[in-house]
Amino acid sequence: MNMFGKKTDNENSEFSSEEPISNEVVEENENFESATQSSNVSLKPSIISEGFEFTGDMKSGGSITVDGTFKGNLSVQTLLIGAGGYVDGTVTADSINVKGKLSGTVNCRDVVIGGRATVDGALSYSSITIQRGGTIKGDLKRK
Amino acid sequence: MADNNQNGCLTVGEGVKLTGNFVVPDIASISGTIEGELTAREILVGSTGVLKGKVTADVVDVRGEIHDNLTANKSLFIRSTGKVIGTVQYAEIEIEKGGDLQGNLLKSANGNSAS
Repeated sequence: MNMFGKKTDNENSEFSSEEPISNEVVEENENFESATQSSNVSLKPSIISEGFEFTGDMKSGGSITVDGTFKGNLSVQTLLIGAGGYVDGTVTADSINVKGKLSGTVNCRDVVIGGRATVDGALSYSSITIQRGGTIKGDLKRK
Repeated sequence: MADNNQNGCLTVGEGVKLTGNFVVPDIASISGTIEGELTAREILVGSTGVLKGKVTADVVDVRGEIHDNLTANKSLFIRSTGKVIGTVQYAEIEIEKGGDLQGNLLKSANGNSAS
């Protein structure tokens, strides 16, 4: 009985140690890595997945995909906002691809606004592409 | 050019400069320069075309430049050589890579009717 009891305990603990490796933990690990190794750009993208809401500041030399909600200051190399994604705040990026919603102050080199995307706020860019149906409101400035 | 002279259309050739207010019932095709007010159903600005002032149309296709004030009641296309600077109101917009759009943007409410 004792041995059985111990075995199940072990199994349980193994399971419980595996379970927390969900999206959220992985994200934060990757963000941490990319922040510490900002010279290395060819990193895997960090993902804020659907239903996940992040509030705060984020900095990365790599790329971030937002399918959930991001609120705060974001400084990245490449930002992709998925169809259901929403980013609100101050964004500084080299390249931005918006399929969802983006609002706030945006400073970037290259921006692509998809056909169902909405961009609202002050946008400063070097190169812009808007696909038919995309919505953009606010002040635009070319660097 | 004279062959496809159609009723209600305005064609401004390269090097031609016009100043004043213009109301065009159909298509205004601009390769020259217009300063003032221009209202048309459709405005096509060629790569050498420059419009300065208040521009209003259902459909606007820009390969040249539009300055100051632009209202596109249906769609606005800015091609890769196009440049639009000023206050812009549109229902539907498309910008090709390389196109230049600067200023204050407003989306008008009747955007759904355009599609």
